[in-house]
Amino acid sequence: MNVLLKSAKIVAPEQPEYHLKKRDILIREGKITSIASKIEDATVENISYKNLHVSLGWFDSSVCFGEPGYEERETIDHGLDVAAKSGFTDIVLNPNTKPSPNANSTIVFLKNRANHKLTGLHPLGNFTIDAKGVDLAELYDMKSAGAVAFYDYKRAIANPNLLKIGLQYAQNFDGLIYSFPMDVKIKGKGIVNEGKVSTTLGLKGIPALAEELQVSRDLFLLEYTGGKLHIPTISTAGSVKLIAAAKKKGLNVSCSVAVHNLILTDESLTEFETSYKVMPPLRTKKDVLALLKGLENGTIDLVTTDHTPIDVEQKKVEFDNAEYGSIGLESGFGLINQAMGMETAISLLTKGRSIYGIEEPDWKEGSDANLTLFNPEGEHVFNAEKIWSTSKNTAFLNTKIKGTVYGTINNNKYMKSL
Amino acid sequence: MSELSVNHLLGIKYLKKKDIDLIFETADHFKEVINRSIKKVPTLRDITIANIFFENSTRTKLSFELAEKRLSADVINFSASQSSVKKGETLIDTVNNILSMKVDMVVMRHPNPGAGIFLSKNVKAAIVNAGDGAHEHPTQALLDSYSIRERLGDVGGKKVVIVGDILHSRVALSNIFALQLQGAEVKVCGPKTLIPKYIESLGVTVETNLEKALQWCDVANMLRIQNERLDISYFPSTREYTQQFGLNKAMLKRLDKEIVVMHPGPINRGVEITSDVADSGQSIILDQVENGVAVRMAVIYLLASKIK
Repeated sequence: MNVLLKSAKIVAPEQPEYHLKKRDILIREGKITSIASKIEDATVENISYKNLHVSLGWFDSSVCFGEPGYEERETIDHGLDVAAKSGFTDIVLNPNTKPSPNANSTIVFLKNRANHKLTGLHPLGNFTIDAKGVDLAELYDMKSAGAVAFYDYKRAIANPNLLKIGLQYAQNFDGLIYSFPMDVKIKGKGIVNEGKVSTTLGLKGIPALAEELQVSRDLFLLEYTGGKLHIPTISTAGSVKLIAAAKKKGLNVSCSVAVHNLILTDESLTEFETSYKVMPPLRTKKDVLALLKGLENGTIDLVTTDHTPIDVEQKKVEFDNAEYGSIGLESGFGLINQAMGMETAISLLTKGRSIYGIEEPDWKEGSDANLTLFNPEGEHVFNAEKIWSTSKNTAFLNTKIKGTVYGTINNNKYMKSL
Repeated sequence: MSELSVNHLLGIKYLKKKDIDLIFETADHFKEVINRSIKKVPTLRDITIANIFFENSTRTKLSFELAEKRLSADVINFSASQSSVKKGETLIDTVNNILSMKVDMVVMRHPNPGAGIFLSKNVKAAIVNAGDGAHEHPTQALLDSYSIRERLGDVGGKKVVIVGDILHSRVALSNIFALQLQGAEVKVCGPKTLIPKYIESLGVTVETNLEKALQWCDVANMLRIQNERLDISYFPSTREYTQQFGLNKAMLKRLDKEIVVMHPGPINRGVEITSDVADSGQSIILDQVENGVAVRMAVIYLLASKIK
């Protein structure tokens, strides 16, 4: 793949020599060949767009598709195309499939499915066999096959001793263990944030306590065991505080927050609209502010779209019976850019691969081109036409977003979004 | 002619004060009708109503059915356990199948909060919520307020305590909204385990001592413990619950005033209320049942007039 990006403004806060400078970028055979003020080469495809900006390729640490088992939600092949068109050149795939990845062969299957795709797929394996929370899965073997961390998808590890053992065991091979932040007993049958809204709607509430108790327990365990812990998709102000304190102590903990938990609150639920049914639940304004602050000061390492395609049959039902989750890849950039501004958005979208041991792209001439092309300007409404995903369950329909993705370059491929 | 501001009765929180006034004025008329020797009016001869109950109910279903029949509507009843729906048919399909038989209005009870709202957005019929999970039970709250109005002249300015399982109670929630809309003050009373942590955000106060709550109030609405909704033990035993939150005659005598006692039924005699209180002159429990028919006639009549 040979292309020449014309007059692209480079967004690379970590690379002052290029940052916010307009450059032509020549890519030959998928490698950055030259970055200069002016390059002319009529032998390759010249790419120019209105207000073209370019950054290193974006990374999303929490994406679900469905294959194998839930192909009606999304297939790996199509899902990776959606990711690429949305600006993401590397994604971590959640073990939200049936069967879920328990062993080397299932990881190999996922990796093989993603061969020859633009967007890199980095699968998570289960932490315990069938995510039942009883016996450890073959973590080392899965890591050897390409699993980047271990997660019982959105299921809390109820048994603290199991997490203790997991954190100790995985140190042999520098394994990263996920623990979903939810005390299942305190959560009970809760499905939305406990607060005024749940009280008014008669919906069972999940107190912030359920999350914070688990985070607090897990951090105690981590302090005892050492090792690497990842707490995916936190949602409360209390969790931010607990993790900030743990990082200050020097614990090796990382965490993420979902875009919808950064933008929406439980006030959205007043009409029992199931597109707002997500896990962890939408919380309050106070939590949103604390999460934004946590992202800005680095307490929260990653922002994720927490892309969770769910078919309409599981969403267009009574609120209690609806599945959790919202798709997010297509709207991710527009929302983060709108909420936090371009430079912060790009810095958040390009960081985090190192937590998983995924190779970080860079700007050096001769290195593999792993880039996202976009325009950070222009407000528009996110509507059904802008959804490429097989499942249309977005929490952001008709929301104002800012900016447009033009395309991505990675793995010696170029994909146009428009 | 005045009409309701809504096309469905999904919850009290979607009503305005003038809607409640209109419902009560209309109910006054129907109460007079049902006390005539011929208890029926031909008003809704061209309306067909489906009573769809996905949860068990005796009194609410009977009350609705009577209300519908006394308005001369055609009535069909459909009971479905949650499990039969789980066999595959969705709520929308179930109701649309019934509506295909040219039904104009659906009265629905459902175990899931918001089910009525969901339905109203997805099917073409007027929906009356006859109870949706722990969300709302608007006709119960309307008949409760109507009964207070009948006994005390007005709901505005009155102090009402709702006692018992507030956590799982749609009756409590609808009553809170209805009473506040009419200018009453509301307190809830019960063990802390059965009171939502954020209930005060709705503008009600919390009291855990029944005697103190009774001293404060003009009306006590005693709720049943919803054993079928308790997933864990929220108190050690019924005996201990009764010791703290059961209303008995001695307690009423100790008050320096005569309060009105209500209960939405079914009563667990000897648990939340003793027989001598339930059957006393201070109790308006049976008035509530009678008023239930008149109020439901009013609701159905007013919603049906919007269909036309």
